[in-house]
Amino acid sequence: MSSTIDLNVRNATTGYDAVNVLHDVSVQAKAGNITCILGSNGAGKSTLVRMILGLTPARSGNVAFGETDITKTRTHKVIGKGISCIPEGRAVFPKCTVLQNLRLGAYGVESEDEIQNSLKNVYELFPRLHERKTQIAGTMSGGEQAMVSIGRGLMSSPELLVIDEPSLGLSPLFVTETFKIIREINNRGTSVLLIEQNVKQTLAISHYGYVLGQGRVVAEGTSKELSSSEAVHSAYFS
Amino acid sequence: MDGSRMDLALFSQYIVNGLMQGMVYALVAVGFTLFFGVLDIIKFSHGDVLTVGAFSGLTAYLALSGMGLSNPVVLLLLVIIFALSVTALLGMVVAKLLIIPLKQARAPALNILLITLMLGTVLRETVRLFFPNGSSSKAFPTLLPTGGIDIGSFSLRIDSVMLFVAGALIIVGTHFLITKTKLGLAIQAVAQDEETSKLMGINFDSIVLITFALGSGIAAIAGIMNGLYYNEINFSMGLLLGAVGFSAAIIGGLGNLYGAILGGFLFAGLQTFAVVALPIPTAYKDVFAFAVVIILIAWRPTGLIAEKYSERV
Ligand SMILES: Nc1ncnc2c1ncn2[C@@H]1O[C@H](COP(=O)(O)OP(=O)(O)OP(=O)(O)O)[C@@H](O)[C@H]1O
Ligand SMILES: [Mg+2]
Repeated sequence: MSSTIDLNVRNATTGYDAVNVLHDVSVQAKAGNITCILGSNGAGKSTLVRMILGLTPARSGNVAFGETDITKTRTHKVIGKGISCIPEGRAVFPKCTVLQNLRLGAYGVESEDEIQNSLKNVYELFPRLHERKTQIAGTMSGGEQAMVSIGRGLMSSPELLVIDEPSLGLSPLFVTETFKIIREINNRGTSVLLIEQNVKQTLAISHYGYVLGQGRVVAEGTSKELSSSEAVHSAYFS
Repeated sequence: MDGSRMDLALFSQYIVNGLMQGMVYALVAVGFTLFFGVLDIIKFSHGDVLTVGAFSGLTAYLALSGMGLSNPVVLLLLVIIFALSVTALLGMVVAKLLIIPLKQARAPALNILLITLMLGTVLRETVRLFFPNGSSSKAFPTLLPTGGIDIGSFSLRIDSVMLFVAGALIIVGTHFLITKTKLGLAIQAVAQDEETSKLMGINFDSIVLITFALGSGIAAIAGIMNGLYYNEINFSMGLLLGAVGFSAAIIGGLGNLYGAILGGFLFAGLQTFAVVALPIPTAYKDVFAFAVVIILIAWRPTGLIAEKYSERV
């Protein structure tokens, strides 16, 4: 079943304390697509993620998921609307087991049947997690923790999956594997908003993308357009 | 011959007494550990919440027996329910109006500690002023069976056994709640990573409120246990019990449930040891126990139980 809900960020500004980090940002993650956000360190990518999820709410402008305005919605309620997040740096619960981590991903799911079904899907995607389900997540390797974090993000069968730099700190082989999995997740019908710095591989799997530079959208377009864009190159190599 | 048998009876009495005290300390320490585990804060008013619990229980008893109720089982049940409700509510109000806003404003831990220290004084003084002749000790009713089980020359009070079992059940129940239920999993998640727990769809504020209700309710039980055991409570009882419970939580490793329990019994063990085995006046038992605690903390600054991943709340 394919997702039908678009995410729209319109003219949004936000930041921390007295400083604004994002300025007048408009971004759309179309239902069914992989939309990517590119940008160098400190461009404001994670801040955009935090804004969408209500961790750092927009100060002006708005964020809407389908028809629902979620600009000021509290984080746990945003999640309840069908958005799920794989946060920067994995953020597994280090003292919980793999299975507990996965179950936390399905915290809002009432039906045990549904949870079991999601678990089955996650174990299919990552057989390793099934073998290690009783292992304490904090004792796993970086790559394994990445699996836990991705699996956990899928447990609620989200409409939209927001992924913040999944390739961070992974070996090239595993990065390639991760991108394959993201494409697979999208093929199964989940919309994806993918934050990345790994330009080539990201554009290879995305439908549409935005480039953030110093808190503003400096370029956008289909991945094909962005691949040949000057702005992309200057955003990374200037 | 006669003398040594006497000593054995006396000795057993000390042991039972120590176990009871240990249980009360452990219950108080569990609260400190819960609050610290979930919010990384020290809630200094915890001991005085215990006092409020004990006095709420007494108030309920006076009101109900004034209305002619005399069945001790019903009385005890209502006393507990009332004290639990008052303290749970108090805990939630404190969390909602003080702790959560302070945390949100990113107040330094020291400020939270100071504010809860003052709150403790407010609670303590309120109890003293609110209660008629509140400065002096109040008799706490006997609501448990008074008999004893004779074991040789030693008579084991039935009420001690009941209180001990009740305390153990509460600890086991809390442990079960935290390790085996969905609510407990959410509490663990909030304790480990506030933001990520929100990303799981967990309502952070309600988990904090529930944790405060839980910890405060357990303190009320500890206060009532203390009242039932000694048949006496006073407005400053929470001061020492709070200090001991806090130390117990620290020795065990703050944030660690098993550690809190271990710490509680260890402290009572030290007091008992001082009374039974050391040639010092009984009044010095707390001095001795606290002195050893200071040494233990210096020796193992992060607590006796090395933090294993799964154990911290
Ligand atoms: N919690 C915070 N408090 C204060 N400032 C912050 C916070 N998080 C980020 N910032 C600031 O906001 C700016 C944008 O940071 P952000 O994390 O959004 O960048 P990013 O594009 O995700 O970078 P990276 O690729 O390194 O993850 C930076 O200048 C950063 O210092
Ligand atoms: Mg980032």
